[in-house]
Amino acid sequence: MTSVAEASRETRRARFGPGALTLPAAFGLLLFFAAPLGTFFLYSFLTNSLYEVSRPLTLEGYSDALSSEVNRTLGVNSLVVGLCAAAATVVIGLPVAYWLRFAAGRWQVLVLFLITATLFASYLVRIFAWQSILGGNGLLNSGLRRLGVIDEPLGFLLYNRFSVTVALVHIFLPYVVLVLYAGFRPVSPALVEAAQDLGANAFTRWRRVILPLVAAPAVTAFMLVFVLSAADYVTPQFVGGTDGALLGVRIQAALTGVGNWPLGAALSFLMLAAFLLCYLLTVLALRLLRLDRIRFVS
Amino acid sequence: MSVTQRSPITYAVTLLALVFLYLPLAMVVLFSFHATGAVSFPFTGFSLRWYRETLGDEIFRSTLWNSTVVAISVSVVTLVIGTMAAYGLTRCAPRLRAPLALLFFLPITLPGLFVGIALLVYFARLDIQLSLTTVMIGHFVYVFPYFLLVAKAALDRLDPALEEAAADLGASPWRIFRKVTLPLIWPVLAGATALAFALSFDEFIITFFIIGPDSTLPMFMYSRLHRTVDPAINVVSTLLLAITLVFWVIAFAFAVRAARGRARATDTLLGEAAA
Repeated sequence: MTSVAEASRETRRARFGPGALTLPAAFGLLLFFAAPLGTFFLYSFLTNSLYEVSRPLTLEGYSDALSSEVNRTLGVNSLVVGLCAAAATVVIGLPVAYWLRFAAGRWQVLVLFLITATLFASYLVRIFAWQSILGGNGLLNSGLRRLGVIDEPLGFLLYNRFSVTVALVHIFLPYVVLVLYAGFRPVSPALVEAAQDLGANAFTRWRRVILPLVAAPAVTAFMLVFVLSAADYVTPQFVGGTDGALLGVRIQAALTGVGNWPLGAALSFLMLAAFLLCYLLTVLALRLLRLDRIRFVS
Repeated sequence: MSVTQRSPITYAVTLLALVFLYLPLAMVVLFSFHATGAVSFPFTGFSLRWYRETLGDEIFRSTLWNSTVVAISVSVVTLVIGTMAAYGLTRCAPRLRAPLALLFFLPITLPGLFVGIALLVYFARLDIQLSLTTVMIGHFVYVFPYFLLVAKAALDRLDPALEEAAADLGASPWRIFRKVTLPLIWPVLAGATALAFALSFDEFIITFFIIGPDSTLPMFMYSRLHRTVDPAINVVSTLLLAITLVFWVIAFAFAVRAARGRARATDTLLGEAAA
C-alpha cells in the first residue's frame, strides 16, 4: 500500500493540485449544509399528520401558511420591524462610519475596537438587557420614578414592535457600522474636500457626493439587518409579547414540540423567497439609479 | 489617514451610538453585583452573593464545561479544514473558484434559524441522535465562512513571488507552506481561530434546534430567561460577556500583530470580511 501511494504521489498532485485541499470543507458543507437544506425543501411539500410526516407530495403546507390570518399578521410585523430596524441602523451607522473614516484620527482604532467588541457581546445577554431596561418594573421605569418624572410605570415600553425594534437595532448596529466603514474605506477624503472647496454645504455634500459613493454597501447593510431581524425568533419572545411577535417565532413553534414540520418548512421558504425578491428589487433599483457602477481608483 | 476633518455632528452621533451600545451592557454588569435580587433602581449596594450562588451551581458548571468543549473542538476543526480550504481556494484552477466560493459562503447569507431547522429535520430523517456532536456540526457550518473570509483575505494579500521563489529553489508544496506561507499568515490564523471560538461559545440560534440532553451555556441562559425574577441571569450574562470578550481581544491582538500597522488592525479581521 505504502509503495503504491509513494509511486502515485507525483501523478496525484499533478491531477488534483491545490484544489484538492478544499475537499474536506466542500464535503462537510455539502453533507451538513446543502443536503439538509435540500431535505428541508422537500419537507415543505410533504403532508403533516400527528408525529409523522409522510407523502404524498402536496402544496398543503404552502396553502396553510398563506391562508392563515395569524401568519399574515406576523408577516406584516416582520416586515415593519425588519424595515424599521434596518432603516434605523443604517441612519445611525452612516454618520458613525463617516466619522471613523474621515474624522476619527488617532481615536479610530480604539472606537473600532469598542464597536466590534459589542459585536461579540452575547446575543442573549443583549435581549435580557433590554428586557430588564424596558420592563414595567425595569431600570428605565424605576429610574424615572425615582427621579420623580413619572408616577405610573410606562407600559408602552415593552412587549410591542417598538421594543423589538430597539433591541434589534442594538444587536445589529455594530455589523452595520463595520459594513459601512468598509464601504467608506476606498473613498478618498479628497472627494469630500473638493465638494467642500466648491462651496457645497453639508447637506449637498451628503446627497450629491457621500451617499452615492456608499449606496451599494448601505443597501447591503440594510438587507442584512432586514433579513436577520425578520427571521429573528428569540428577541420577540422576550421583548415582543403578543403584539410584537414575528414570523420567526411561528416557524420556531412549527419545528419544536409536536409542531408541523411541512408548515414550518413552507413558511421558511416563503420567507426566503420574499427576501430574494427584496434583494433583487434593491439590486434593480441600484442599477436603475446607476449607483452600482461606481469604481474607486486609489 | 493623512487628513482628519472636523465633523461635529457625526462625532456626536458616534458618541451617542457608543453610549447606546454600552449602557445596557453596563447595567447588566452593574446589577450582577447587586446586594438584593431586584433589577431596578435604587441600587442598594454591592455584593458577590449572586456570583457565589451561580458558580456553585452544578448545572451552570456543567454547561460552562460543555460550551468550552464544543467551542474548542469547533475552532480546532475549523482551523485545520478552514486553512486547507482557504489555501486550496486561492490556488486552485480559476474555473473551480466561483462554485466553491458559492458553497463556502452561502451559509453566511442565511439566517441561523433556517440552518438550525434544516439540520434538525435532516438529523431526524437520518435517525442521528441529537447531542453535543450535532451541535458541533451546526457550529462548524456557522463558523466556517467567517474563518474562511479572514484566512482567504490574508492569503490573497501574500506576494505570490515568495512561494514561487521557494518552488523554483526546489521546495515541495508542503515545505513551502510550512516554511514560507505559514510563518507569514499564522497570526491571522490564530486570530481567526479565536474568532471561531467566540462565535461558537455564544451561539444560540442554531444550537436551540439541534441540542440533545446536554446543555450549553447559552442554552442555560435561555432557560433562566424564562423565569420572571432571577438575579443570577446578570451573573451568567456578565460571565458570558467576559469570556467572549477575552477571545475577541485575543483575535484583535493577533490582527494588530498581523497588520503591523495599527490602523489596519480591524480591517484585517473584519473590515474586509464585511466588504
